[in-house]
Amino acid sequence: MGKRAINGSDFAAMALLGADLLKRNAEKVNALNVFPVPDGDTGTNMNLTMTSGITELKKKPSADIGKAAEALSKGLLMGARGNSGVILSQLFRGFAKSLANHEQATAIEIAAALQHGVDLAYKAVVKPVEGTILTVAKEAARYAVQYARRNTEVPELMEEVYFRANEALQKTPEQLPVLKQVGVVDSGGQGLVYIYEGFVQYLSGAALDVDALASEAAPADVYVPQQHVEPSSAQAKLETLDIEFFYDMEFFIKRNVSGTPVASFDESAYKKALSKDGDSILVITDDDIIKVHVHSRKPGDVFNLSMQYGELTDIHILNMREQHRELLAEEGVVSEVNLAAAELLAGQAIDNRPAEHGFERAPYGMIAVALGDGVAELFRSSDVDIVLTGGQTMNPSTEDFVNAIESLSAEHIFIFPNNSNIILAAEQAIELTERAVTVIPTKTIPQGIAAVLAFKEDETPERNKEWMISAASMVVSGQVTKAVRDTTIDGVEISEGHYIGLKEKAIVTSEPDLLAACQALLTSMLEDEGDIVTILTGEGATEETTSALCSWISEHYAELEIDLQYGGQPLYPYVFAVE
Amino acid sequence: MGKIRIVTDSTADIPAELREKHGITMISLKVLFGEEVYSDAVDLTPEEFYARLKTSPVMPTTSQPSPADFVEVYESLLQEDPEGPILSFHLASVLSGTYQAATIAKSMLEEAGEHIHVIDSCSASYGHGMQVVLAAEMAEAGASVEDILAAVAKRKESCQIYFLVDTLDYLQKGGRIGKAAAMIGSLLNIKPILSLEPSGAVTSVDKARGSKKAMAKIVELLKNHFGNQAVGLIVAGTDDEVIRDELEARVKAELNVKEVSYTTVGTVIGTHTGPGTSAVFLYKV
Repeated sequence: MGKRAINGSDFAAMALLGADLLKRNAEKVNALNVFPVPDGDTGTNMNLTMTSGITELKKKPSADIGKAAEALSKGLLMGARGNSGVILSQLFRGFAKSLANHEQATAIEIAAALQHGVDLAYKAVVKPVEGTILTVAKEAARYAVQYARRNTEVPELMEEVYFRANEALQKTPEQLPVLKQVGVVDSGGQGLVYIYEGFVQYLSGAALDVDALASEAAPADVYVPQQHVEPSSAQAKLETLDIEFFYDMEFFIKRNVSGTPVASFDESAYKKALSKDGDSILVITDDDIIKVHVHSRKPGDVFNLSMQYGELTDIHILNMREQHRELLAEEGVVSEVNLAAAELLAGQAIDNRPAEHGFERAPYGMIAVALGDGVAELFRSSDVDIVLTGGQTMNPSTEDFVNAIESLSAEHIFIFPNNSNIILAAEQAIELTERAVTVIPTKTIPQGIAAVLAFKEDETPERNKEWMISAASMVVSGQVTKAVRDTTIDGVEISEGHYIGLKEKAIVTSEPDLLAACQALLTSMLEDEGDIVTILTGEGATEETTSALCSWISEHYAELEIDLQYGGQPLYPYVFAVE
Repeated sequence: MGKIRIVTDSTADIPAELREKHGITMISLKVLFGEEVYSDAVDLTPEEFYARLKTSPVMPTTSQPSPADFVEVYESLLQEDPEGPILSFHLASVLSGTYQAATIAKSMLEEAGEHIHVIDSCSASYGHGMQVVLAAEMAEAGASVEDILAAVAKRKESCQIYFLVDTLDYLQKGGRIGKAAAMIGSLLNIKPILSLEPSGAVTSVDKARGSKKAMAKIVELLKNHFGNQAVGLIVAGTDDEVIRDELEARVKAELNVKEVSYTTVGTVIGTHTGPGTSAVFLYKV
């Protein structure tokens, strides 16, 4: 073959094949979940992340590899779900940055770009763990850099990448004992290997009609969860007229449109100019395209300002006061007509209002992730403004978090991911918004509840963070679910279909009977005593089991208080918290 | 100058024997179950009241004494001894109009009222009661009005009050919930740690999952405040002896308690805090 460089079209085709292979093997990747729990979802998360990247790539096709990679990277970044999804997005973000301004890339440049991706991904993760997708990417990039010094053929380089990635993947059980115990390779690493395999398929010519594939992999056939965003209490408290910067604008500035000279772009100066008469500003800068989101009182001024930097495309404007009136009307707060009339009577013409008068925000807002209508209701009753609920095995994406953050009118926002696989996506959202956001890294629903309850309205964000993290660490979390395969882990022999009890991350029991599993789990959780046990009943819990369990607790732990709550969470009949 | 007389209202929750022993004059607030009117601490025992509170289809309400009620009491005391000062201590003015009514009564008496001192206890239940009892003891020992008022102010300063309620519903319905309102609505078993602000307004200083954690937190707060200093403790309960007894035991175990006494949360305060209320009042000795 002898391709010595690839361009944007090549890259797009590679990515498509990679995404397709990942998609077809998503279930296999899910099955690599270390714990035999039914919500192993690395494959699903990576597939959705990749799909978001591909959608963006198709929207902005370019013959330049730099631009194509940038498009993919942007889509991945916004669509990132789960830890592996976030790491994947960082790998390609570095890759794209390294190839920025390149029309095409040679073997040595691709190798350097892969290496740059690895560097960024390691930086993005607070505590990088070896034996994961990180290691697979790192090893592949390391060999790629060596290989590219001696060889100039891109297809051969990609084969080396794929080979070395797979080799590193097979070694992951040696690095991460838990993988070895269960006898699987790392799921995220496997996902990446599928993507690299797709790259190789295209470059070796083994593929297939890319165009046909493209239409087949259209985003329409991907299930995207409906994020249920409740009207926040912070929002409901807002008067319609309080929404001062009420035109919600979103558009792109296309730089370098041929024949049109444009001013050089200074992001911070631009943002500053926007903030004079707007808020909720989000500017994502790329070399040839700038994404802008702003709430403004004067859309005309925003456009006039932006037009000097290029051509405006994909323009969306929404009147948020109109939306807010509709929202209030829906909630039955006031009729639409009355509201409009009240505004007229108040004589509040928009431009008569002093520009420096910003609308008042609630001091704090809270966003929690939860599965189950009961759990969501518990969070809402505890002052959480927005509860993000994924589907069965669905984690919210970075973009879901960004949207939730932007929809809240609060000075400081706390996020409770309540799942160790959602923390990174939430943290990535911080970088994509101008708002003050703190992620409290709660790993379970019980931790999230404890953290939310530790919140104190009249304290500083820093002290609240400290208290909430400490409160989360004081609770012992337990979950009961059905094993999806036979395995032995931590010395516990597990049979498919049996009920397993997880205390924090460790499986402590496996029983054919649900009640017995609950009892064994609680016995373990109560080793260090506790004053109160919270029981969240989920799908699969029965009244009979619940009442038998409560009697058993009262009998064996007479001093323990019981707080029985309907959780409605799928897959886990019982979730326990001991405090 | 004649003998100092002590007047208070029924919300001080001073046990009857103690009140009689010190010759404290009490004016009752009223509890109303619909059309039925009861005088607090006179007509209805707390036992009867709490039993009724749980089953009554109508929520009781309360009413303060009228200025005329106070005038009557003050006049009869002045008749006995026109020169003797009267110290009249009342439920926090942020919680009730009782103090206001007493103040109006004093002004209605014009010159005759000049020996009457109406004092806002800025507290409730035995937080208020302990001020009254201290004043009565000092008056018996022959202390001056100034000394008594200074000692009472000091006692109030050193007093720490915490209470637990079964549900915030009663505080909310009675409009006395103050800053504890933030905790209304949670579905979880959350116990607010309630206290009184310096004005006497109800406030929530913290919250805990379940009563046991709440009691542990109260003891921790008290320990932080008093350390190993000698303290006096008054335990006030309603119909829930389990919580009251455990709270007492926990406080005694952790603090240097020198004297203990007991009282019951009366019907007027109980109307606003509900059944299952337990309180501790501590002061330096």
